[in-house]
Amino acid sequence: MKARRIVVTSGKGGVGKTTTTANLGAALAVRGKRVILVDADIGLRNLDLVLGVEKRIVFDLVEVVEGRCQVRQALVRDKRFGESLAILPAAQTRDKTAVTELQFADVVNNLAEMCDYVLIDSPAGIEHGFRNAIAGAAEAIVVTTPEVSAIRDADRVIGKLQERGLPMRLIVNRVRPEMVRNGEMMSVDDVCDILSAELLGIVPDDPEVIDTTNRGVPLVLDPAQRLGAIYTKIARRLEGEMIPFTQLGSGGFFGRLFEALRAG
Amino acid sequence: METQRIVTPPVDAPQLEIHAPPAPVESQKKPKTRGRTIVVTSGKGGVGKTTTTANLGVALAARGARVVMIDADVGLRNLDLVLGLESRVRYHVLDVLEGRVSLADALVRDKRVPTLYLLAAAQDREKDDVATDAMVGLVEQLRDEFDYVLIDSPAGIEMGFKNAIAGADEAIVVCTPEVAAVRDVDRVVGLLGNRINAQLVVNRIRPALVRKGKMLSVEDVNAILRLPLLGVLGDAADVIVSTNRGEPVALDEASATGAAYRAIAARIAGEDVAAPQAAEPDGFMDKLGSFFGGRR
Repeated sequence: MKARRIVVTSGKGGVGKTTTTANLGAALAVRGKRVILVDADIGLRNLDLVLGVEKRIVFDLVEVVEGRCQVRQALVRDKRFGESLAILPAAQTRDKTAVTELQFADVVNNLAEMCDYVLIDSPAGIEHGFRNAIAGAAEAIVVTTPEVSAIRDADRVIGKLQERGLPMRLIVNRVRPEMVRNGEMMSVDDVCDILSAELLGIVPDDPEVIDTTNRGVPLVLDPAQRLGAIYTKIARRLEGEMIPFTQLGSGGFFGRLFEALRAG
Repeated sequence: METQRIVTPPVDAPQLEIHAPPAPVESQKKPKTRGRTIVVTSGKGGVGKTTTTANLGVALAARGARVVMIDADVGLRNLDLVLGLESRVRYHVLDVLEGRVSLADALVRDKRVPTLYLLAAAQDREKDDVATDAMVGLVEQLRDEFDYVLIDSPAGIEMGFKNAIAGADEAIVVCTPEVAAVRDVDRVVGLLGNRINAQLVVNRIRPALVRKGKMLSVEDVNAILRLPLLGVLGDAADVIVSTNRGEPVALDEASATGAAYRAIAARIAGEDVAAPQAAEPDGFMDKLGSFFGGRR
């Protein structure tokens, strides 16, 4: 049985692609799925740090592509999840051009024979690294924040995914409900309307995520972290369950952004 | 090693002055003021490059300096939105480099601060469409007219990054107190090499979390990066609002973050300004609690 191959992307950096990949992967693994995470950010890898496995990396994606090791040898298992969660790290000292789209897709297809989910953590931007990351995927999760710049970038990326015929769903990250209620932040409804995208998840802003990320602990494993339950919900939606969303007020930025997207 | 793809302009494009190297020393012309060329970069995305470029541009121009900001994020431009100039952008960097319009036509003047200009990125083109030598030529041309050329780098270390740093003598590297950001910045500082003089801005510090040991301190960050510290900024909600509205906080006399950006601008201009404390956002955890506790 072949795995679902899902790229996590955004256009804009720092909106939570890597955090989403790690935590969604962890949530699926906790639910008994076999998950392999692929870090496509060659030269600026971080997925290993977020999972806290950075010291255990032996081989990387580029070495797999160059035939210097087997893909199984390069996988770093996250022992907290038994046999369920592994990561294929990116190379840190190489360029994104060290791997072609075809080579990347080939690696992902190989991994898809070994598990239930391959989650690909895309780099920021829409350059070569992004094209590699989407080359191996059959579905996409676009992560955005309720900020005009993130939404404009997401809109551009969604266009590129549509060109490839990749179905996509949206995670709106770092929502601050109080700001939405005060009209200082766009609502999730506004974001979905502007992007004409189907919603997969809403994640509130929590400054303590930084600490968990810095310590390399996935949120689903940290009992003090309330966000763990949210990633579990997203994992269940990904599995096809109908889980209702918490909706939060309406903001007032719709008009300006709509104009900006039409202009750009 | 690094590969630099040089994209040739279309065959019928007029030959551009800006493709030529800077004027030789033996030029008859009186030497003009050479503006400073500063790239704002980070490796990691979303740490505040564009916000920092916009606010330092505003703050430097408000001090009377002539400032031009270049958005180097071809395909994912945002500096125009953060400055609230998106409706006035008509031409972009590639229109200039490919000879369709003059530089003067492509510059958007900010009406709030009259000595501030924006050169927007193309939105429907690729970063590989910009030739590195043409970008250097453009920056060289601009520094003859402006006191500061601020270049807003895209995230990553691909072609867009290489183009953004190519014309700069100085760099402001923006980092947040996260191990992932520190690792990316460390890599970028290595790529900047010895030619570019780098200084550090630490963004989104929350002093209360630092005190609780739940966030890296500025000292922790700089123990790894070891760069001259240019400024520290708090994690304030008003920055999100200002970005969404297109009104940089540096214009807001009442904003603590605005004051911090003005202090950084003063430091860039050579003034000896004490580093302001990162302001603590009010009651943020209460707000977050209301989301989890007060679900409808």
